[in-house]
Amino acid sequence: MSPISLALVALLVPFGMALLLVLAAPLRRAGWPAAWLSVLAAAISLGASLSLLAHQVRNTGSLSLLEQPWLPHAGRSLVTVGVQVDGISASMAVIVTLVAFCVQVFSLGYMAAEPKADLGRYFTYHSLFIFSMLALVFAPNMLQFFAGWELVGLTSYLLIGFYYRKPSAARAAVKAFWITKFADMGLLLGVILLFAATGGFSWEARVDPAAITLLTLLIFVGVMGKSAQFPLHVWLPDAMEGPTPVSALLHAATMVAAGVYLLVRASPLFAQAELTLEVMTWIGAITAFGAACIALVQTDIKKVLAYSTCSQLGYMVAALGAGSVLGGFFHLMTHAFFKALLFLGAGAVIHAVHSNELSAMGGLWRKLPLTAITFIIAALALAGFPGLAGFFSKDLILEAIFEEQRWGPYALLMAAAFLTAFYMSRVVFLAFFGAPSEAASRAQPSPWSMRLPLIVLAIPSLGAGLLAWSFAELQGLPYQLHLGPTGLVASVLGLSGIVLAYLVYARRSIPLSAFASLAPIGASIRSAPIDRLYQALYAQGALRVAALIAYIDRYLIDGLMNLSAWLTIVGGRRLRQVQTGNVRDYVLVLVGALILLSAWSVIQ
Amino acid sequence: MNLSAILLLAAGLFCVGVYGLLTRRNAIGILLSVELMANAVNINLVAFSANSGSPLGQVFALFTMAVTVAEVVVGLAILILLFRSRGGVLVDAAQELKR
Repeated sequence: MSPISLALVALLVPFGMALLLVLAAPLRRAGWPAAWLSVLAAAISLGASLSLLAHQVRNTGSLSLLEQPWLPHAGRSLVTVGVQVDGISASMAVIVTLVAFCVQVFSLGYMAAEPKADLGRYFTYHSLFIFSMLALVFAPNMLQFFAGWELVGLTSYLLIGFYYRKPSAARAAVKAFWITKFADMGLLLGVILLFAATGGFSWEARVDPAAITLLTLLIFVGVMGKSAQFPLHVWLPDAMEGPTPVSALLHAATMVAAGVYLLVRASPLFAQAELTLEVMTWIGAITAFGAACIALVQTDIKKVLAYSTCSQLGYMVAALGAGSVLGGFFHLMTHAFFKALLFLGAGAVIHAVHSNELSAMGGLWRKLPLTAITFIIAALALAGFPGLAGFFSKDLILEAIFEEQRWGPYALLMAAAFLTAFYMSRVVFLAFFGAPSEAASRAQPSPWSMRLPLIVLAIPSLGAGLLAWSFAELQGLPYQLHLGPTGLVASVLGLSGIVLAYLVYARRSIPLSAFASLAPIGASIRSAPIDRLYQALYAQGALRVAALIAYIDRYLIDGLMNLSAWLTIVGGRRLRQVQTGNVRDYVLVLVGALILLSAWSVIQ
Repeated sequence: MNLSAILLLAAGLFCVGVYGLLTRRNAIGILLSVELMANAVNINLVAFSANSGSPLGQVFALFTMAVTVAEVVVGLAILILLFRSRGGVLVDAAQELKR
């Protein structure tokens, strides 16, 4: 099959499945058939994406494009829709479909206890997500990308609010929607500016230097929302209200990485804006460091992972800010695998102990040995343990920042590397080692559907780093392994983070009271200052404006409405007197009018 | 034939019909008045037809008769129902549509 038709299969099979499940309500409510059909669609999509990648590896650097005109205007079409298959989109499609497939299989076990109708709804959303994400990945221009971007935002909203009867989940869904929509206004303005400046929506347009900085900054605002960059990161931790496999797929591996993917895609645009790149590096580094700090004090295992996701996305954004497209994109890939694995592992743990709190866990490696091993592999990969996936990608990023000589972000990212190792080791030691809690001692082993995806994802978490060279070749980007002082320092920092966490949380040879002086900082982080800031802004600004508009609506607009209603009622009451119901009255009017008309025609 | 004399006859007949329509309270009288008006029209049609030599007007007069018959059938059916429901055929008693 040609690459175009493969891409169309990968794109349209999940779409067809979502459509089928939406329209065929009995099938959806039946639950298990819907689930298996959805997994089948994901498998077909994965197969198509893999053969696409194989084709792209055989024909490195080739580009296949299918474009259909769209939005006709003045004899030409303003924009096209279609698929663009190249190294970047093929790699991303494999990442998306592989993680999506693993997550769907995992969900078969994790969601087994849900009511049948909810199960069908869950898998319908998942099929829709794969389609939306691939529509974004294969987008040949900025406008189709934007459409896919909004669609994944919608599926994110639907899946965060999956337990919509739970008030906190509904709130989290709305919060995520609001914040990302706010950021999307930036992206939309950026896209419109791009059209105004170049007359098209191309990824690679040359833009007037006067417009490029504003344009790229606006697009970057959209990225900050979707990829949870400081200070728009507040929705991502709340998004953990969704089912854990959803967190793994959307809010760790793929959807939140869409922002980074946009930066990779539009890197020719961004390369023209020096200032935007500088801003990106700083925002990314601040996010990486800040989110890592917050992750230290979380007691909910999913919240730790959520802040860790923010932090790692910060690394990617910083890398792209330093001009290292390969570093950012490669970290996106490795991170997708090991973070999805971490979330699925956390899901298995939560499934076993029925709690998100780390204090409810402990000593779980006896009960869930496979989960423990894969979780530790993923945690080490995330911590940048030499030889594992995260080590290579993080090293690429740090090297790039080093070469750009941006010392502030460099220091922040180095510190974040240490913190990453520390908080991940903390989770591992608290959850899997030590004395088992009461809930942990009653934990049941997971079903096969929850173990298989862990093994599948553990393989790339272990070995994906070794593919860095061929990955770079596929994208047509230069790569060389440095192993310079940066990599050495980062490794030493990572290892010392692990050792420190071991001493504190496993050996207990450093008592927690040694950190008592840090307690106020921890308390202020836990009080979520940015959330409170937004709340204050909302209460002071948005609510006031809303109250004013409500006043105008109630007394001015509604007043006009009520006036016209009153006029109608009174006028009607008067006019009904004319209708006597007496036949002869009507005939009299008829004849009178006839006479008048005749008289008029005579006078004429 | 004097056309204007016939037209005057038709106009007179029409006015008789209108007068009956306005003054009668009995539904049967109203129906009869309407018939008078229709026949005034028929006379006009036939008169113009004879005057111009074209048979078209006569054809239309036949049409009008057929339509009038159908109308009377419907009118009488309503009248019978009216009579059954309130024991009389005075139109002033039937004012429900006002409400």
